[in-house]
Amino acid sequence: MSLDLKLDGRSEDRFGTMAQGLLGTPADRPEGVLKVTGAATYAAENLPENCAFGMLVRAPGQGKVTAVNADEVRAMPGVLAVIRDERMIRNAAQGTANEAPVQGVDHAEYVGQPVAVVVAESFEQARHAAQSLKITTEGSPGPVDPDAVEPEGEPTRTGDLDSAMKDAVHALDLTYTTPSHSSTPMEPHAAIAEWDGDRVSVRASLQMLKYNRNELADCLGISAENVRIQSPFVGGGFGSKLGITAEAVSAAIAARELGRPVRVVQHRRQAFETVTRRSETTQRIRLAADAEGRLSGLGHEALVSNLPGETFAEPVTQASAFAYAGAHRVIGERLARLHRPAAGSVRAPGEAVGVTAFECAMDELAVKTGLDPVELRRRNIPDKDPSSGKPFSSHMLAAALDDGAGRFGWSDRAPEPRSRREGEWWIGSGMAAAFRVNIMMEAEARIDLTPDGAVVETDMTDLGTGTYAILTQIAGEALGLPAESVTVRLGDTDFPPGSGSGGSWGSATTGNAVWLAALDLRRQIAARLDCDEAELTLRDGQATCGNVTRALAEVLGGDDLRGHGHITAGDAFEDVVQSTFGAHFAEVAVSDVTGEVRVRRMLGSFAAGRILNEKTARSQCHGGMTWGIGMALTEELTHDRRDGHMVNRDLAEYHVAVNADVPPLEVHFLEELDPWSGPMQSKGLGELGICGAGAAVLNAVYHACGVRIRDMPATPDKVLAGLE
Amino acid sequence: MYAFEFERPGSLDAAVKALQEEDAQALGGGQTLIPTLKQRLAMPSKLVSLKGIAELQGIAQEGDVLKVGGGSTHGAVARETKGIFAGLSLMASKIGDPAVRNRGTMGGSLANNDPAACYPAALMATRGTVVTNTREIAAEEYFQGLFTTALEEGEIITSIRFPLPEKSNYQKFEQPASRFPLVGVFVAKYGDRVGVGVTGASEDGVFAWKEAEEALAGNFAPEAVDDLWVSAEGMMSDLHGTAEYRAHLVKVMTKRAVAAAE
Ligand SMILES: Cc1cc2nc3c(=O)[nH]c(=O)nc-3n(C[C@H](O)[C@H](O)[C@H](O)COP(=O)(O)OP(=O)(O)OC[C@H]3O[C@@H](n4cnc5c(N)ncnc54)[C@H](O)[C@@H]3O)c2cc1C
Repeated sequence: MSLDLKLDGRSEDRFGTMAQGLLGTPADRPEGVLKVTGAATYAAENLPENCAFGMLVRAPGQGKVTAVNADEVRAMPGVLAVIRDERMIRNAAQGTANEAPVQGVDHAEYVGQPVAVVVAESFEQARHAAQSLKITTEGSPGPVDPDAVEPEGEPTRTGDLDSAMKDAVHALDLTYTTPSHSSTPMEPHAAIAEWDGDRVSVRASLQMLKYNRNELADCLGISAENVRIQSPFVGGGFGSKLGITAEAVSAAIAARELGRPVRVVQHRRQAFETVTRRSETTQRIRLAADAEGRLSGLGHEALVSNLPGETFAEPVTQASAFAYAGAHRVIGERLARLHRPAAGSVRAPGEAVGVTAFECAMDELAVKTGLDPVELRRRNIPDKDPSSGKPFSSHMLAAALDDGAGRFGWSDRAPEPRSRREGEWWIGSGMAAAFRVNIMMEAEARIDLTPDGAVVETDMTDLGTGTYAILTQIAGEALGLPAESVTVRLGDTDFPPGSGSGGSWGSATTGNAVWLAALDLRRQIAARLDCDEAELTLRDGQATCGNVTRALAEVLGGDDLRGHGHITAGDAFEDVVQSTFGAHFAEVAVSDVTGEVRVRRMLGSFAAGRILNEKTARSQCHGGMTWGIGMALTEELTHDRRDGHMVNRDLAEYHVAVNADVPPLEVHFLEELDPWSGPMQSKGLGELGICGAGAAVLNAVYHACGVRIRDMPATPDKVLAGLE
Repeated sequence: MYAFEFERPGSLDAAVKALQEEDAQALGGGQTLIPTLKQRLAMPSKLVSLKGIAELQGIAQEGDVLKVGGGSTHGAVARETKGIFAGLSLMASKIGDPAVRNRGTMGGSLANNDPAACYPAALMATRGTVVTNTREIAAEEYFQGLFTTALEEGEIITSIRFPLPEKSNYQKFEQPASRFPLVGVFVAKYGDRVGVGVTGASEDGVFAWKEAEEALAGNFAPEAVDDLWVSAEGMMSDLHGTAEYRAHLVKVMTKRAVAAAE
């Protein structure tokens, strides 16, 4: 039995009438104590008996690969195998690929491609042997410069932007560039594989198990029924663990060959290369506006890159299609096929860099038109999606702009740049709008209800995001149980397939599946009480119908009940455009003598439908805003101009924002229920905080000191050059 | 890491002897050497730890000179020179993090002579002296380029002597990820002269900015260097900053150090 729902049209809000009072509270994570005491076991922990250790070996160049001294290495102390198997993967699979990525070890298509795995009795022996394996490559490198190849793809054209630009009172034609970015989650990419006959079990650090299972099966050439993946705890992913990764595939291959469990952990420097990066972008943005700042046309064209054979192209302009009005449009990406390491989804693919550049351009338009940046955006909010003509499910941009501006004290800001100075520091503020499409996927979940409470199971993952907490709250609210009576089990392909974590869709999609499973149970309980489910009140383990109240345990009468929910997106995601909205505000100080930028405060107002847990939601926004600071000021992967290799593939050279870089961040949520988003009326929030955050910082830099940085990040040398 | 032997002599003589062995290397705090070994960039046959040698310890004022034992940790330098040599104390207190400061030593840092190391700037500005088991080497002879010094194979830095200035200060522009100086400037003011030592900037390693030294000797104020500039030629250029940017920072850091000198 299962309660299936395909989301068509608007949904009724069922949680407004529930009585437990758990959903929406800033509840702690139920697994929090396990994590801070080290009792939560991550992928590389829980070593099985007799486990051997594998270390990946990278290609030092591009071209035909030869392992020169494999036999010598095989004879080294402790070495069990030197494996170069054609099923090993070139790079991590793309998110939701559901099939193997490009495989093979004979030809390196980028510097750093894994071309062997060396397995030994101990980690140290494996590492020593892997470092001793001499790999040579033959052949000249493929193209690595995005400007040196003819890109694929064409933007979509509506109307006549060229004419609109000519006729406009204010026209801007600007180019912004962003470098490659890395996800670099805290937990390294790790896997332990163990075979039992023809079945392989893999403990891994992955985001989307139902896809990963099919991807791994396809890589190995076995049936998916013979693959089990467990990822109960994941120490951050940000897109880098969406698709099956090199260590999981090679651990499975090695474990099969050796007939014993094998663990492979990627070194941080390996993960930079083998796991997908965010593509660099070159973005041409054109804005045509009348005297009042109303857009008659807009262009957003982006050049991105990826390896041959990869389907993914950073969807830079995704939000530009619906963000602002303007009849004449040129929007879309071109993809350069390059032999840099593969590109893929990194937190908020598309909007993270696309909204950031576009919102910088909007700031430039505000300056050009003499309008306040908040007012300029307000004037250009479309009443329906300008690209498709469809209505929005809800539109909260104006509300977010007003809320944020009020709280930040925006009206006190002097409009002119270089208005405020403190010693050697220029002080200024900037803002940006935030947009992120709302996506629903397919998910299933089940709940077992016993007199002891409820157990929720789905293969959904928790990347540190708060999935355990939120699913506890949803089930507890719907079933009238306190949080202590709800157990959530995640991250095991033996459980019903959830949505996986990615694209911000995790809690809204899988959360609705949990709701449906609970609804299934509510109907069974109501039937036992002979009442209509809508009349049923469940609270603190008591069931009330009309004026009859009975303990839930009594209603169960010794039976255990099972509810199963299954949700899929329907017309609700076709008939209307669904998005989350927000507004970022930042205050920065820019040193007149060194060009350093210090972010002094940052504030975001966000709307994402019902907020399921204020604490975990706030943490997501903090994370996104922190990434925005990194993107604006420090994060930059550098590719060697000759062979595309990543020069700065470690955290000493690729600087992500850390405590010293991040000021107090203020996050506010707007009251909203979006009936189109599903019965929970809740939309994805995990990525909204990064979209546009960097633009608020860069716009503040301009306002502080008059320097416009269009080539991100705004490092001190670039800012200083502008100051002089 | 490759395999090596480990020896922990109790006296300077024993250490000197142990270091005569082919490919033996001294180990100070290990804050540079251990990571180097881990990356397999060095392959000593034997590490000779200097930790247990009393002759390398001790920080003491001897007249108008400060003597720092080669085995003194950054933490000890920061604490024990506070009232005597403000600039050096400040410098030591900002090297790395507490773990680095509790292990890393002045002798190790000067022997290594990383182009972005802090102490070389202080030694150069003060025109101090490196004392080894065999001789005394003046700062200007001691530094010979990136990672290169006048030290012979197996020679041990036993102490460092700094002529004590009236006023001093160190300013470093931190590279955000490692917090090593992108450029660091040490300023030391004496009765008859001023020393300005610059680290992190030049392709030739630490140097004394002579024009600034002269200008500041006449007028120890930030404005004294207003009309001076450092050429970008010969400055390092990398991911973290261009040669032009580094050249610019030399002047900015010098002015800040002069303003803050105490
Ligand atoms: C995270 C981190 C941050 C850091 N930040 C800074 C910074 O901001 N500024 C800075 O200046 N440094 C910084 N350092 C480097 C630190 O100061 C090291 O301690 C120093 O460079 C080396 O000192 P050591 O005693 O650890 O030497 P070791 O690593 O033990 O040895 C280094 C070299 O010196 C030789 N050696 C050691 N002692 C002697 C001796 N007495 N005589 C002759 N040769 C000797 C060794 O043989 C070796 O070649 C940082 C290090 C780390 C890990």
